[in-house]
Amino acid sequence: MTGVPGAEGPGGEAPAALSVSAAMGLAKGALESVVVRLVGEVSELSDKPGYKAVYFTVKDEKAALPCMMWMNRYQAAGVPVAVGSLVEMTGRFSLYAAKGRMSFDVFTIALAGEGQLRLQVANLARELEAMGLMAPERKRPLPAYPQTVGIVTSPRGSVIHDMLRTLRRRYPLAKVLVAGVPVEGPGAADAMVDGLAKVVFGGAELVLLGRGGGSFEDLMPFNDRRLARTIAACPVPVVTGIGHEPDTTIADLVADVRASTPTAAAEAVAPTRQETDGRLAGLGQRLGRSMELRLTGAARSVERIAALSLFREPERLFDGEALALDDLAGRLSRALPAMLREDRHRVGLLAEGLARMLPSALAAPGAAVAASRDRLAVRGATLTDRFAGQLAADRQRLLGAAEHMADPFRSALSVSAARLHDLSPLTVLARGYAIARDGEGAVVRSTAQVEPGAPLTVTVADGAIDCVVEKTR
Amino acid sequence: MTDTEKIAEEGAPRAVGELTFREALAELESIVAVLESNTLELEDSLTAYERGVALLGSLQKRLAGAEQQVEVLMGELVAAPTDEERDTTLS
Repeated sequence: MTGVPGAEGPGGEAPAALSVSAAMGLAKGALESVVVRLVGEVSELSDKPGYKAVYFTVKDEKAALPCMMWMNRYQAAGVPVAVGSLVEMTGRFSLYAAKGRMSFDVFTIALAGEGQLRLQVANLARELEAMGLMAPERKRPLPAYPQTVGIVTSPRGSVIHDMLRTLRRRYPLAKVLVAGVPVEGPGAADAMVDGLAKVVFGGAELVLLGRGGGSFEDLMPFNDRRLARTIAACPVPVVTGIGHEPDTTIADLVADVRASTPTAAAEAVAPTRQETDGRLAGLGQRLGRSMELRLTGAARSVERIAALSLFREPERLFDGEALALDDLAGRLSRALPAMLREDRHRVGLLAEGLARMLPSALAAPGAAVAASRDRLAVRGATLTDRFAGQLAADRQRLLGAAEHMADPFRSALSVSAARLHDLSPLTVLARGYAIARDGEGAVVRSTAQVEPGAPLTVTVADGAIDCVVEKTR
Repeated sequence: MTDTEKIAEEGAPRAVGELTFREALAELESIVAVLESNTLELEDSLTAYERGVALLGSLQKRLAGAEQQVEVLMGELVAAPTDEERDTTLS
């Protein structure tokens, strides 16, 4: 290019003046040949559907630059441009001759600085969410009153002490395993992954992951993919307390419980001491009251049973039977005479019937007996004749034999009588002897048998003489 | 096995001292619930009551006498700044 048309130095021959169009064309040619890369903050934005391009302005402290980006390029870039975003763009200046306006034709656009980080985090969050790592059903409830609590946080600073103090105040029974790890800068995410594994291995029933507040960049280790997957795969629940409320990290999103601060995370482990004490006291009261109720209930039951008429008047137990017995007895005493009367009546009837029937019943056998008697009378008369002769002859023989049968005995008897006569005391008495007997009839054979004055009966042949003993010699 | 199942299991109950705080608390809760349901024989409820009193006493004693136990597995714990130090740093 030799010289600038329309801008000849003074003293030279002035060429013809350029038209506006020509001048603008000149400028356009000069601007559009340069491709530049720049960073700026988006201020105004016009992104209307139907437009062929997106229009926005980038600025820094001193300058502003209107930009346009063809819609197809903008969509391909996939960067959500928003007012306030720091963006890095490549493109070239362009002149819209019709309005004499300059703008920047954007080829590529990307978020710069924190914006870039935020985009990366958002993309990772989307990816992990698609994998289901943030699903609500994955969130586990925290174990009540755990015996061992793991804490993964910086060993420096107030955060660890805030957490320990909170646990001490609420639930000092929990043993605390602390993994003191760097929580920012390169290597922090890996150290936290390591720390999580260590406290879980050490027996923690839940893990508190925390750090104090910081910039978005400071919190970047908590947006680490590996840490996120470690938290999701952790065998025990993880509670995060990272930064302050509006900050949300990926670790928060995949954790089982997200607390707003480290202290709030520690508070999630156990209720306040007053609450625990109150709960125990309440249980104690309920325990006592229910036992008391049970005992008074049992006592009332016993009283109620004791008051039953069964126990007060046990004899009433057999009332029914007693009444039944009486009733039966009455019925029996009424029934018996009636039954006897009836029986007697029947016997009477039977007797009458018998009396009526007997003569006629006896008539036939009577006739038979009479016939037999008649026949016997006829036969009997001749029946004895047959034996009569024999009987007479036998009787004759018996009489003959009897006549001489006594003869031998008769002669023996006369001999015996003669001897008896000789031996008889009477015969002795006849010869002049006497028998003396004492008062009792005993024969006196000795003088010792009688005393003087004793009665004595002396038997002689023709009678007896009553005497008295005078004396013995 | 959950805590309630352990309690429901027949046989000699574990010594109160062997139970964790959570187990003891769960057993106490279930004993109170059973007593309040009034379904036990009087003798059984007396036994349950005694056990409940022992559990309650153990839980309260544990809380009263507890001292925090901290074990550092990684890193070195830096003592907390005292309030005085904090005030100095802030000013």
